[in-house]
Amino acid sequence: MYATLEGLRRFDIPHKFEVVSIISLYAQWIREGRLKVDPAWNTEGLKFSVQDPCKLVRQSLGDPVADDLRFVIKSVVGEENFIDVWPNKSNNYCCGGGGGALQAGFVDNRRQHGKTKFDQLQDTGADVVITPCHNCHTQVKDICDHFGGKWQTTHLWGWIVKALQR
Amino acid sequence: MSENYNLSKLRTRLKKQIEQAVPEARIDYCLTCGLCASGCPASGIEDMDPRKFLRYLVLGQDDIILQTNWIYSCSLCQRCKYACPMGIDVGRLVYEVKGMRPVEDRPKNLQKSCDLQKAGNSTGIPNDDFVWVVGDILEEIHETEPEWSDLKAPMDKVGAKFYLNQNAKEPTVEPEEMVPLWKILHAVGIDWTYSSKWWDGANYCLFTGDPEDWELTTRLQAETVDDLGCTTYINTE
Amino acid sequence: MPKGSVLVVGGGIAGVQAALDLADSGFLVHLVEKTTAIGGRMSQLDKTFPTNDCSACILSPKLVECGRHLNINLLTLSDLVSLEGEPGNFKAVVHQRPRYVDPTKCIACGLCAEKCPKKVDNEYNLGIGKRKAAYLSFPQAVPLKYAIDPDNCIWLKKPGRCGACAKVCPAGAINFDDKAVDHELEVGSVVLALGFSPYDPSELDFTGYGRLANVITTMEFERYLSPSGPCMGHMERPSDGKEPKRVAWLQCVGSRDINRSCHPYCSSVCCMFAIKQAVIAKEHAHGEFAPSIFFMDMRTHGKGFEEYYNRARENGVSFHRARVHSILPADDEGNLRLRYVNEQGGIEFAEFDMVILSTGLEVDKNTIKLAERLNLELDEDNFIKTDVFNPVATSRPGVFVCGAVAEPKDIPQSVMEASAAALEAGSILAPARWSATAVKEYPLERDIHAEPPRIGVFVCHCGINIASVVDVKAVTEYARTLPDVVFSQDNLFTCSQDTIDQMVNTIKEQNLNRVVVSSCSPRTHEPLFQETLRDAGLNKYVFEMANIRDQDSWVHKNEPEAATVKAMDLTRMAVARVRGEEALPYHTVKVDKSAVVIGGGIGGMTAALSLAEQNFPVTLVEKSAQLGGNANNLFRTWQDDKVQPYLAETIAKVNNHPRIDVQLSCEITEAGGSVGKFTTTLSNGQNLQHGVAVVAVGGKAYSPEGDWQFLYGQNDKVHTLLEIDRMLIDESEDFKATGQAVFIHCVGSRIPERPWCSRVCCTHAIDQAVKLKEMNPDMDIFMLYRDIRTYGQRERLYQKARALGIIFVRYDLDHIPAVSEDSGQLIIKTHDPIVDAEITLQPDLLVLATAIEPQATGSSVAKFFKCAIDAHGFLLEAHMKLRPVDFATDGVYLAGLCHYPKPLEETIAQAKAAAARATIVLSLDEVPAESITAQVDPAKCVGCGVCVEVCAYNAVSMDEDKNISLVNADLCKGCGACVAGCRSDALTLQNIGNEQIMAAVEAAFD
Ligand code: SF4
Ligand code: SF4
Repeated sequence: MYATLEGLRRFDIPHKFEVVSIISLYAQWIREGRLKVDPAWNTEGLKFSVQDPCKLVRQSLGDPVADDLRFVIKSVVGEENFIDVWPNKSNNYCCGGGGGALQAGFVDNRRQHGKTKFDQLQDTGADVVITPCHNCHTQVKDICDHFGGKWQTTHLWGWIVKALQR
Repeated sequence: MSENYNLSKLRTRLKKQIEQAVPEARIDYCLTCGLCASGCPASGIEDMDPRKFLRYLVLGQDDIILQTNWIYSCSLCQRCKYACPMGIDVGRLVYEVKGMRPVEDRPKNLQKSCDLQKAGNSTGIPNDDFVWVVGDILEEIHETEPEWSDLKAPMDKVGAKFYLNQNAKEPTVEPEEMVPLWKILHAVGIDWTYSSKWWDGANYCLFTGDPEDWELTTRLQAETVDDLGCTTYINTE
Repeated sequence: MPKGSVLVVGGGIAGVQAALDLADSGFLVHLVEKTTAIGGRMSQLDKTFPTNDCSACILSPKLVECGRHLNINLLTLSDLVSLEGEPGNFKAVVHQRPRYVDPTKCIACGLCAEKCPKKVDNEYNLGIGKRKAAYLSFPQAVPLKYAIDPDNCIWLKKPGRCGACAKVCPAGAINFDDKAVDHELEVGSVVLALGFSPYDPSELDFTGYGRLANVITTMEFERYLSPSGPCMGHMERPSDGKEPKRVAWLQCVGSRDINRSCHPYCSSVCCMFAIKQAVIAKEHAHGEFAPSIFFMDMRTHGKGFEEYYNRARENGVSFHRARVHSILPADDEGNLRLRYVNEQGGIEFAEFDMVILSTGLEVDKNTIKLAERLNLELDEDNFIKTDVFNPVATSRPGVFVCGAVAEPKDIPQSVMEASAAALEAGSILAPARWSATAVKEYPLERDIHAEPPRIGVFVCHCGINIASVVDVKAVTEYARTLPDVVFSQDNLFTCSQDTIDQMVNTIKEQNLNRVVVSSCSPRTHEPLFQETLRDAGLNKYVFEMANIRDQDSWVHKNEPEAATVKAMDLTRMAVARVRGEEALPYHTVKVDKSAVVIGGGIGGMTAALSLAEQNFPVTLVEKSAQLGGNANNLFRTWQDDKVQPYLAETIAKVNNHPRIDVQLSCEITEAGGSVGKFTTTLSNGQNLQHGVAVVAVGGKAYSPEGDWQFLYGQNDKVHTLLEIDRMLIDESEDFKATGQAVFIHCVGSRIPERPWCSRVCCTHAIDQAVKLKEMNPDMDIFMLYRDIRTYGQRERLYQKARALGIIFVRYDLDHIPAVSEDSGQLIIKTHDPIVDAEITLQPDLLVLATAIEPQATGSSVAKFFKCAIDAHGFLLEAHMKLRPVDFATDGVYLAGLCHYPKPLEETIAQAKAAAARATIVLSLDEVPAESITAQVDPAKCVGCGVCVEVCAYNAVSMDEDKNISLVNADLCKGCGACVAGCRSDALTLQNIGNEQIMAAVEAAFD
């Protein structure tokens, strides 16, 4: 998101389209009733937490998209099954995988960076951590495995489909 | 034993270079308050933190800056800038320093991801493979999930309202992860398309420190979307 | 002729001070306050630094005085709408919103608020806790009148729906039909004292403010500490009401920030504010208490502040030089966690029960709108723009400004400016002095000498303050049984206007000749009741108070029966005292309408000109052969105003002024007398009679020595700031070739020998560095500092200096920079804490920012006028907070460096303030002198002469013929030193002599 938005801006690249996040669209569609979801499937009360991607939230669209993200998750898994982190949204901790860290090697450093995120997610006690960014996904999964976390790291879309009413 | 810096004649070559490239750098404004270091998850790694990073620049200790691998621990996340009283974007400066590394001294994989991206996508699979994988998976769904027999994954559909990108990880490693997204879009009923030319949602050229590469990849991407005539670019992450 | 009235806008401490100074010096003042009561921000504070005085207690008398002043027209719930005309002749429109409670009827019983069903967030307590739609903002409110808040009142929103207040009000004061009024006022000048708003940190999500219950602001914490606050002064944290044990303060929230809050300036007061809160909270706490303050630079630059800081550190307040990015929840209990990085880069974690944000000061949005309406210029930070050399003048002639609305500042500074603004506002109206004012007329005084005592006792409920504990009715009944008491009565609020009026009638009807009020503190209320006696034709000295509130109901809340007995005891003692009291004459002294100003620097010259321009003759005494003092060596102010042209102009004005007599190379050799009538002898033999004196004897630069010498005087590349200024004045070309320059801050300041911060040196040094850098951009400049103290908008200069590439390296007393030389080349070694490295510099120029010390002459002048000096030799003002230019000795005022180090603009403001205070005396024909004076019983006096020695006012002399002592009533201050000193019991003070004291003591054991 940031790469495209900021790239278009910084290099002043001509374009005719607008850039939107799929997260905002999910939220919009749920609000409009075009995307019907029901959290009833979550009978076991699986607990969810979330990673706000720096590039999407702090660096691009700010708190509104983070609020949309929460709205979508809560609609899909049930309000009471969502456990937020602190700090969150625009002030969120980076997972430590961004900025090319995942590709750069320096695995110990990357994990040391990610330890803050690990502790934060571990403290929520959530069963599932939703990562709406691939970098975050890889890193969150890695620190979970490395530091012995118990959660499952997943994308958002699968859960939406689970809750989907057609 | 602490170091001794002889500043009888102060030289700050690196700092000046960065300031030239980033007019809003404001390195000199730093109050050394430590707020950035307090909030940075990378503080302490390689015995560095954002405040020290700035301080070395100010005191002209260029070697330390050019050698530290901390620049690959800084994720350019801008948490420092978010609260810094002077609004200094240390990540932005780190980005410049990354670009100052000779290409051959950079972490191999990172540079490779960017180079591949320039050629099309960060994993380097041929675009045809992407088209094939999409088609293949779609067919499988049609066969195995009758309630989704009308599911679509349009490719290069000129005039579609929405352009959708796809992180290269899915078609290469976990293709089934693409399906939920299609289902959602189908359920909502929007008019969307992939592009077989430029479909990768990631962009690693943002992280290598070479603005030309970043510019190139963004430009190629923009052209693709405009060529298709889509009015909305949906970013999937 | 100009109008003889002034409009003062803003009823905070600055507005109140300006109003009082103006009204006391002969002008009618319209005081406009937007809320229901005057008092402003200061009234919301619990304690004030550095004296730890109770804020309400020191403020309240001023508010009461303001509320009762015959020549102050108080307009609450009012806003200035427009201002037309010119200096001397303005037309102002003031819009007054309805109060819905008739202030002439309201007796402040509080029943309306008690019965009002509508609960509203209490904005006076910054939203903590609730008040009602019918309310009184705080117990000491002036006027002490309830109001109805139309935004929340049920009836006003829907007439007929509630009206509970109207039903219960015993005075019939509720008036739902009250209407707004537009007052058209004709005034000659205007003083704006609009104050500030505390910065709202809600937008700073990383602080957690508004999201984490136990993150609050300093202003909010002040309400938690205050006895009139939502927790009655018990320290509680919001989440669970538990007393916090570990509390952190985070400095600079919304200050020194160009990123999120867009406040590049320093708010000046928050460092001391936080230290004070830490100290006071520690006192409030039961048991262990661990306060921590997280800061960038500790800014304790005011008088007594640095020592306060040192004491706080010694007493267990921990200080961390670190800013904290985010406040994090530590657990589900409401505790908080901070992750911070120490100066060396080490990561540390700490847990707290509560975190307090030291939020800065900003200009209120309404001020910006008002400035637009009045066509006043604002500066880049939206503060009202002023002139450096006239710090209270706005861009519009005839409109003056004071207090935090012109730049963040503390209370003493605001009070100083208030007096200075009063001077300016009054000065242009000097010909109209006393033209618009009313004079208080008292009825003829009844001679009670021959009458047997007829004592009246008035017992006060003080709303519920007394009555909720003490059985007031019983005390009233009891009082009637005491000998000579012929009347007793209880009142809800004895001080309310209607009760006061009624008391006048009662005194007359009952033919009372002694009065006792059992209520609150004489400090705040005695003058009011004494005046009531005079209104009823009695002498004001046949009056006594029993404090059955502060000394009884407030301290014995849980023992109502015993408290009632104690109230009876206190009342009985007061009755015993008053019984023997006699009418005393009201002494006055005729005022010599001229002044002596001592010191011919900027401070002295400004004071002299300020008085002379109002036509009061002034003798200006300067000990050197030249006027100008330290300003002779100053290049420019931090805002780039050149000092020398201003100085030359000022000197010329002084020399040419027909009413100023300049005496150079001259000192004072003797002084006597008291306010209104001083006699001073000069070293040239001249004898002066004058009504007031202003002391502005200045200060001097410390000459570096010992550890702080840094080769000064030994290597010609080492200079002081003043020497560099001299070179800049002389347009020296020397700096063109300088490759590297180093400045060392705090040379001789903030060390045990000189434990004060010299306040000006950071700004001065940085400004010089900026100047050098501008002259020679290639110059490398290093500033070696301990804390940068560019308070207020001077912070912009600090930012500018950094932006120019000037490098700041911190040092502390464990790492004092080492300066050596090698064949004349300076070598400096210092330590940079951030990268933990030693830095070697080889400058061509080393500048020392040396301390400012008091002049030795200060203490001798102080002695002549019986004024005090502090432990360091600076002159000591009457009260650090509220009387910053007065001495304890009436009629003598102070200004400039002799009071404390300060920059030029503050010296000018203080000098004008001193002149304002002096003007009050000079504008009167006579001033009241002490009525309670010492009396000698010739039969007992043995002529030992002890009294002559102990009297500090030279009021006692010996009658050589009769060998007994004589007291000059004009000079006697009634201090009682002689009474205590007399071994023969020959001396006594009228009405507070042995007779009264013994009577009271005996009564106590009855
Ligand atoms: S937060 Fe900003 S001003 Fe403070 S040390 Fe970091 S970069 Fe410097
Ligand atoms: S941008 Fe880099 S320096 Fe700044 S907070 Fe993120 S990781 Fe730390």
